[in-house]
Amino acid sequence: MTELKYLYGIIPTDEINQTPLPSFKGLDEQHELYNIAFDGMEAIVCDLEESEYNESALEEKTSDVQWVHEKAFHHHEAVMKLHEIYTVIPMKFATIYSSKTNLEETLTKHYQEMTRLLSWLKGKEEWNLKIYCDNDSLRERTAAHNLTIEEKKKEIEQMSPGRQYLEKRKLDRLIDQQLEKEKEQHSSSIHDQLATSCVKTDIKKNWNKDVTGRTDEMCWNSVYLLENQDVEKFLGKVKQLQAEWKEAGFTLELTGPWPAYHFSKLK
Amino acid sequence: MSHRQEFENKDVGLIDVLDVVLDKGVAIKGDLIISIAGIDLVYLDLRVLISSVETLVQSKLNGDGQLSSEQFDKEKEALDHVTKT
Repeated sequence: MTELKYLYGIIPTDEINQTPLPSFKGLDEQHELYNIAFDGMEAIVCDLEESEYNESALEEKTSDVQWVHEKAFHHHEAVMKLHEIYTVIPMKFATIYSSKTNLEETLTKHYQEMTRLLSWLKGKEEWNLKIYCDNDSLRERTAAHNLTIEEKKKEIEQMSPGRQYLEKRKLDRLIDQQLEKEKEQHSSSIHDQLATSCVKTDIKKNWNKDVTGRTDEMCWNSVYLLENQDVEKFLGKVKQLQAEWKEAGFTLELTGPWPAYHFSKLK
Repeated sequence: MSHRQEFENKDVGLIDVLDVVLDKGVAIKGDLIISIAGIDLVYLDLRVLISSVETLVQSKLNGDGQLSSEQFDKEKEALDHVTKT
């Protein structure tokens, strides 16, 4: 039987010598995770039966949203476990190699870069922020507190009914634009305040309600890489900002610590 | 209680996990047996969208078209006003 290698992450050998790899079931819920030593680094993998996880089988599996959800969570849990104990270069979900040889060839190619990345990531962790806002109440507030909009409303009242209809629609668009601008400004000022205690940050795309399944709207999505010793201060700042922005309708949701998914880049 | 204890691993939802493990993490392409580009969030996004559109169409088919035709009449009325002035 041919076995594929599912790669979870790369960790330094000296750390695994100090704390042995805990027992953890792999993606297929049968094979255990184990390490393949590679010149000072350890690739953490699990075996998968080729017949069940070859390209066409995977294509079928990944078209099942439920399967992707479940297995993405498994990947997350496994890499989190590694991150709790070791410095780890986290792999993307479903990073699968056709053989041990194939995996080793790849590691050889990126050896220098991975060594550098591992020593850079040591003692750092990632925290992710998503800001959600109650769009309707924010819109009302924007409409009520903006002087230009206020003046425009008075002007419209003096117009003929037909004209009023058209102008009201224009005004609606103006309020929407103003609202977007305010959301962006507020979120980015929150981000700037948090970024000061970070090694690196990145701003990501917002997901719509169909994906988040929430009633409020995501208006900011960002990631932060921190030195361990700076985390406490950073979290204190987040708490303060959460309280500060609650009243205005902004919910700051912070998750972490994550393995450095967003800051592990290889060329 | 430290801030860390308060925040650590709290409120991690499916979206948070998917946003991380499907979107980021190291992927050394070319050597992989599958192209993982096929399963990203955009793809999931589309699928969820498709299913919600289907539900919408379904509810319309079940005779729930009242609201939109009413709205249509209202807009038509308003447009009539404009053309009169």
